[in-house]
Amino acid sequence: MNNARIAFRNLNRQKKRSFLLGGAIAFGLMIIIMLTAFTAGVVVNVQQNGSLLLAGHIFLIGMEKTESGMVTNVIRDDTFIRDTLKELDIEVKSIAKCSSFTGTLIFEDEYLQQKIDGIEPEKEENLKERLVLKKGTFDALSSDPRALIISEKVATQLNAAVGDNILVKLTTSTGQVNVGEFILKGISIDPGMMGFSGCYANLEYVNELLNIGRNESTLLGIFLNDFKKIDIEMDRLYTALSQKVNLFERTSDKEGFASLRGGSIEGEWEGMKYQLLSINDLLSRLNQLSDILNIVGVVVLLILLLIIMVGITNTFRMIIHERIREIGTMRALGMQRDGVRNIFLFEAFFLSLGGAAAGFLAALIIMFCVSLIEFGMGPLFIVMKNGHFYFNIIPAQVILYFALVAGMTLAAAFIPARKAARIDPAHALRTIY
Amino acid sequence: MKKFLIVTVMLFVCFSVIADEPDFDAILRRIDSMVNFEDSDLSCAYTIVSEKPGEDDSVFKVRMFRRDREDKFLVLVLKPDTYRGEGYLRIKDNMWLYDPENRKFMHMSQKESFGSHEVKNSDWKAPAYAENYNVEASSEGKLGRYDVYILELEANNNEVTYPRKKLWIRKDNYMVLKVEDYSLSGRLLRTAYYPKYIRLGDRFIASKTLLIDELKNGERSQMTIHDASLTALPDSVFTKSYVERVNM
Repeated sequence: MNNARIAFRNLNRQKKRSFLLGGAIAFGLMIIIMLTAFTAGVVVNVQQNGSLLLAGHIFLIGMEKTESGMVTNVIRDDTFIRDTLKELDIEVKSIAKCSSFTGTLIFEDEYLQQKIDGIEPEKEENLKERLVLKKGTFDALSSDPRALIISEKVATQLNAAVGDNILVKLTTSTGQVNVGEFILKGISIDPGMMGFSGCYANLEYVNELLNIGRNESTLLGIFLNDFKKIDIEMDRLYTALSQKVNLFERTSDKEGFASLRGGSIEGEWEGMKYQLLSINDLLSRLNQLSDILNIVGVVVLLILLLIIMVGITNTFRMIIHERIREIGTMRALGMQRDGVRNIFLFEAFFLSLGGAAAGFLAALIIMFCVSLIEFGMGPLFIVMKNGHFYFNIIPAQVILYFALVAGMTLAAAFIPARKAARIDPAHALRTIY
Repeated sequence: MKKFLIVTVMLFVCFSVIADEPDFDAILRRIDSMVNFEDSDLSCAYTIVSEKPGEDDSVFKVRMFRRDREDKFLVLVLKPDTYRGEGYLRIKDNMWLYDPENRKFMHMSQKESFGSHEVKNSDWKAPAYAENYNVEASSEGKLGRYDVYILELEANNNEVTYPRKKLWIRKDNYMVLKVEDYSLSGRLLRTAYYPKYIRLGDRFIASKTLLIDELKNGERSQMTIHDASLTALPDSVFTKSYVERVNM
């Protein structure tokens, strides 16, 4: 205990030096904590925003092969999956139907290709909450079956405003040409990435245009109560469903969100075949990117710590040189070698702990300040939480970084500390600089 | 006796009307047979000129090879240079687009547009009105100086590109002069005019086609046929390797 107190006092004696050494450690840790918290935050936001915009954590896509061999994207009856969810006792927040298509939006002389999602507006509370409308209202989708919400980018390209009639040319589920007449009722902030369209219409009218039944859909989105259980529940659901219906093999999809449009699956089968995907399958590429960023972060931290270690080793050698008479006195008064070594190791430990704590605190302050800034709903909307950057601090990761910093600092101080412990007291007391 | 006479006269009038009404299904079959090259191969070149408001006209030149008896065709793009070498190969229900830059084939729908034109991939194929459509209504009229039958057709299956069509057919030779294509919701999508035909053996092919996009104001394409021939084509023409070979 005395050793620790002496070490702490020694640190206070050279405030400037301790501050600089601790500052270097703090800077390294601050960078790594901010980087990992940011990437973890991006993953969580994309996962949550994606789940809300796509209305689900787990998705079922139906593929029906007609007698002529044509593959159509439709779920005729979803009772089997609802029953299975009940049988497995999976806690579900909501189950929403969605029918999507890519068609040509035409307004006066302008036109463009766009994906539109037909949704049940009254069951899409999460989407209503998350979708930011620049003009118009989300509720118009319920009150007017021909209502259409498009993204700001699409509205600009079409030169259309709320209230305009927009023609949409599309093909039915079996490939026949059809035209829908929509009324623009809302303009959403462009989600900008990951394949989210930001364009929504009423499911019933979209089904009519796709020439499928009123109660049918092209996709079923299942919202779990706890999104952390996605992988576990997905495994259970896949296993149970594979006993009941014809399922495609599970893959981490190469096409990302584009695969939710269906129709790209080839192979031999008859009748109905289903594809079960989770938001994590769709985000597998993003998770890989996050892992890479984390590895890069740790490598950067190790390089920084290596440089700091060299600095610590040299500083401790200097400290020992400066305090050689003090070491001699302590040894002459009866302090053992281990005691001398421990004083320096305690000094290094306190330095690392203080530096790491300061770095963590600085990271918290910066992250808090950055998260207060309103970035608006621009193209980065999908990686943000309501227009703000979100940092997800993982405690285990922070503890690991603290341990890493402490371990490396102790390692850097160990050789000079051992050298100090081995100094002959008589020689130390005679030394004059 | 008086009643009997009235009924007899009415029946006579009815039968006369029915007897006068042409057999439209037979007319559709006749049209199909006139433009289907079942007993020979067909090869020809097309020039497609597309007009879009505010843009320069785009000119495409393509070479088409068709074998109707096996339900195959190949369309090779010759001009412009940007698309040169692209190939649209159809074998029965399958259709592929060859991309010469990546040297890859992509499976595609026959209902997609050819390039950015009003021309659909299904337009290269011989029509099969009798097989795919039922006559829902008919009338008579005039188109220019020709007396025509006007037939309203409705698809009998849900896999044809256009669920409804309206045909203007010359009364004297059953040539189709005009076709209107409608969406499932009944909206007019495209009008096609076939003002000229050329005779190839005992069959006919439209030598000039004008396609008007009814949804996009001012957009139209004109297809003109050249160098039509019924010379037999080798089987290898309708293969992926041929498409790759012509690009080497």
